[in-house]
Amino acid sequence: MRFVFILLGVLLSALPTQARPVSYPGGWTFITTNDKDANATLIHYSPSAKYSIGWRHEYLRGPKAHADMIQMNNLVKRWNAPNSQANFYIKSGAGIAYEDGKTDPAAFTGFAIDWENRRYFTSYENKFFWADDVTKYAKHKARIGVTPYIGDYGDIHTWLMLQADYDAGAKDTFSLTPMVRFFKGSSLLEAGYNLDNAVMFNFIQRF
Amino acid sequence: MKYLLTALSAIILIPSVTNAGHADFNHDIDVNVNGLVCDFCARALEKVFGTREEVNAISVDLNNHLVAIDLKEGANIDDEEITKLITDSGYNVVDITRHNENTDQKL
Repeated sequence: MRFVFILLGVLLSALPTQARPVSYPGGWTFITTNDKDANATLIHYSPSAKYSIGWRHEYLRGPKAHADMIQMNNLVKRWNAPNSQANFYIKSGAGIAYEDGKTDPAAFTGFAIDWENRRYFTSYENKFFWADDVTKYAKHKARIGVTPYIGDYGDIHTWLMLQADYDAGAKDTFSLTPMVRFFKGSSLLEAGYNLDNAVMFNFIQRF
Repeated sequence: MKYLLTALSAIILIPSVTNAGHADFNHDIDVNVNGLVCDFCARALEKVFGTREEVNAISVDLNNHLVAIDLKEGANIDDEEITKLITDSGYNVVDITRHNENTDQKL
C-alpha cells in the first residue's frame, strides 16, 4: 500500500498544470543515454502541449540492477525571449527495479532547468532515485556549452560542452565529462569521454 | 582514434548544408516568434503546421526569429489559428505579417 501511495504521489505531482507543449502534441521521442553509471532507454509520447509520458528501462552498473518505469516529463514553465529560451521541467517515474531474482518497487523524481541562446547553453538537473533494497541515489548534473559556429535552420549544429556530475554516494563523487553535441533535423547525438576514462553516448530521435 | 577525430573534425567544420534560406522561400505569411533559438526544438513547428491542409510548407529563420508560411492556392489560415499552433508548439507570437501582390499588411 505504501508503494501505491508513493507511486500515485510521484505521478500526481508530475501532472501538468496547463495545456502547453513539451515538444508538440502527438509527437513521439526515442532517447538513449549511456554513461559511467547507467544505460537507459526512454520512449515517450506527448499527448498534449505540456507533458509527455513514456516507458523507461534502465540498467544501473553499480548494483547491477535493472529498472522498468513509467516516466512523466512536465514542462512547468518556459521563458521565451527574442534571442533566448529557458525551461523548467519536472521529471518523475515509478515502476520496479530488479536484480538476481529480487524485485522491488522503484521511483524517482527531480527537476531540470536550462537556458540557451544561439551561442551559449547552460543547464542543471537533479535526480532522486529510490528502489528499496536495490539502490538509492541522489545525483546532480550541470552543463555549460558553446557552439563554435551559429548554424542556420537545417544545418548540422555542433556544440562543445562540459558536464559536471555529483553523487555523494558514488565511488567517484565528482566527475567531469567534456563532450560534443551534434544535431540536425530531428536527430541529436552526444558523445563524451569522462576524465575518469568512461565513455558517454546519448541519442535522441523525434518523430 | 585517428579516424574518430577526423570524422568529428569533418562534422564540426561542415558549414551550412541544406538550408535554402528564408529569403528564397516564396511565402504568404511571416510570423515573428519569441524563443526561436534552437533548430532541434523548432522542428515542432514543421510537424504541427504539416498537419494543416491550408499549409503548403513553412520555413524557419532563426536569425530573424521568423516563421514563414506558404499557403496552398486559394487557402487561408487566420491569425488566431496561427497563434494557437505556435503557442501550442512552445513559442510566443510577437506579430504576424501577411504579404499580398501589391502591399505588405502587418496585422
